[in-house]
Amino acid sequence: MTRFTLAATTAVAAFAIAGAASAGSYKIGITQNNVGVDSYQTTYEKAFIAASDANADVEAVVLDAGGDVARQIAQMEDLIQQEVDAIIIWPTNGEAVIPAVRKAHKAGIPVIVTNSNIAEAGFPFVKSFSGPDNITQGSRSAEIMCDKFKAMGIENEAKVAHITGQPGYTTAIERAKGFEDRLPEVCPNVTVLDTQPGDWNREKSQKVMEAFLVKYDDIDGVYAGDDNMGVGALNAAKAAGREGIIFVGATNFAVGYEAMERGEYWGSIYQSPVDDAEAALKTALDVLSGKDVPFLNYFDTPKITQDNQGDFTKPVF
Amino acid sequence: MPAITKASLGRFIARQGILIAFVLFMVGFTLANERFLAPENIMGVVRSSAILGVMALGVTFVVISGNLDLSVGSMMSFSTIVVLDLHDKLGPGLAIPAMFAMTLCLGALIGFLVGYLKLNSLIVTLGMLSAIHGLTLTYSGGKNMDIADKEGTWFSIFGQGEALGIPVPILIFLGLAAFLGIVLAKTPFGRKIYAVGGNGVAATFSGIRRARVVFSCYLVSSFCVATAGLLQASRSLGSQNTVGQGLELEVLAAVILGGASLLGGSGTVFKTVIGVLILGFIQNGLLLVGLQFYAQYVVTWVIIILAVWLDIAAKRGKLLSPIA
Repeated sequence: MTRFTLAATTAVAAFAIAGAASAGSYKIGITQNNVGVDSYQTTYEKAFIAASDANADVEAVVLDAGGDVARQIAQMEDLIQQEVDAIIIWPTNGEAVIPAVRKAHKAGIPVIVTNSNIAEAGFPFVKSFSGPDNITQGSRSAEIMCDKFKAMGIENEAKVAHITGQPGYTTAIERAKGFEDRLPEVCPNVTVLDTQPGDWNREKSQKVMEAFLVKYDDIDGVYAGDDNMGVGALNAAKAAGREGIIFVGATNFAVGYEAMERGEYWGSIYQSPVDDAEAALKTALDVLSGKDVPFLNYFDTPKITQDNQGDFTKPVF
Repeated sequence: MPAITKASLGRFIARQGILIAFVLFMVGFTLANERFLAPENIMGVVRSSAILGVMALGVTFVVISGNLDLSVGSMMSFSTIVVLDLHDKLGPGLAIPAMFAMTLCLGALIGFLVGYLKLNSLIVTLGMLSAIHGLTLTYSGGKNMDIADKEGTWFSIFGQGEALGIPVPILIFLGLAAFLGIVLAKTPFGRKIYAVGGNGVAATFSGIRRARVVFSCYLVSSFCVATAGLLQASRSLGSQNTVGQGLELEVLAAVILGGASLLGGSGTVFKTVIGVLILGFIQNGLLLVGLQFYAQYVVTWVIIILAVWLDIAAKRGKLLSPIA
């Protein structure tokens, strides 16, 4: 066992030296939000490591804040001390990390924010944001739902219930805003009956949907801020024997993909953690090589429905 | 039938303050939305309260013995994830006992630390809250757990089945409540728990082995948590790692609402059940009323504090009782 560990350490050290020796290499540090809390973040980390291993010019320092703001700030300071060439941060908290981002900016290290943006007060210290556009995701979900209502011929009387993510989270707020702004534009006669949070939690969402089903005799569609909650709502409708409701989510999960295959769940937004991680690394490299990078650098998150799901592989999370 | 006198009415109010508060809330919500009392709504609320309720039964034992258990939420996530994972690896027949054994081991560890090493239960279970969460994440690698074949497994009967027209989770909740209620009220073990929580020194002098009683209470609690994990897993046939996160405080709120003293020595299973139902109906009632959700957090806790105050005021026979 000891010998194996020693051999492994030596091998890692040899790689590290080889990495440092290669000409024109970039040392890029990343501090992630909370790897392990969900499969999205776990897959993101694996994809990021794979992408940086595949690129001979990149030496990556991969850190995880474990959801802890104080630890993330300490990690930012460590990365500044190590004089990395660029820092990628997946903020644990959009406000609290700003001073640390500012410090990196002052030290001349470009900062790239990934996945979820920091608060606007921190924008001057950030080179670029790489991630999904949650407002677009919300409005695309509205379009998916409206198109389905039109296909069913109920676009003038349909009634929709809305289950949001955890109150106070930027992703939840932006998706809800995107949906609520877009729906009246594409389907002006559809009414939103009620909006309640499902806290990104399948069980909570199921509870909320049960109450909706008691309260409203007529529900034609449900929009949930992610598929996990969408499937919770679907379970409630199935248990109550209410059929024909159109379920639309966001962030297509494996459970949502499977429910679409069974024909119980209509559509969602396809967001790949692999695309997310690769986009972050590419943004950092573009910044370092002096390319002109837009401040908001969104990667595409396409619509997925029962009609086109064959074009997408089943999500791993 | 004895005549109802003013004094006996006073005693009734004093003893059943929490029950009266419960009836008041039910009337209030029914006035606000007539569907509140619809049978399918009542059934739905009791069913979704069953998971919280089963956990609260075990915590009632721990609290009466004079200790706390803040680890039940993350322990419930653990048992849910474990049973879902083992379901596909071993089959449901082996997965369920294996999960119960693993969860009971965690309970035994906490019981040992609190009972035999005499460590403060708040510190121990607060630590375990975080440690078990880490254990769950390590076990699952952070992934959501889902049963592959959702249609073809009998595992779903615990969470989704019905018997005699009543959902199985309700039957399990009420059955376990009846059993544990009898254990607590009618057996020597139950009386020992009250003795240990009420006056530990006196209990020792009466020849009660306190450490063993405390240890057993944590075993009961972890058994209840395992049952809750089974219900949760069976109900959704898939879960996130964080499914039980935050439940420990709701469980504690239900137990305290039921009138169990955090100092130990008082509380009953029946009143905990009422506490669980109050919490469940408050959450459901606020949804049906359609209150804006930011306000729901506030209103929920205003109602809880109101209920506890009503209960205490009834017991003391006066509304104001300043610390003196």
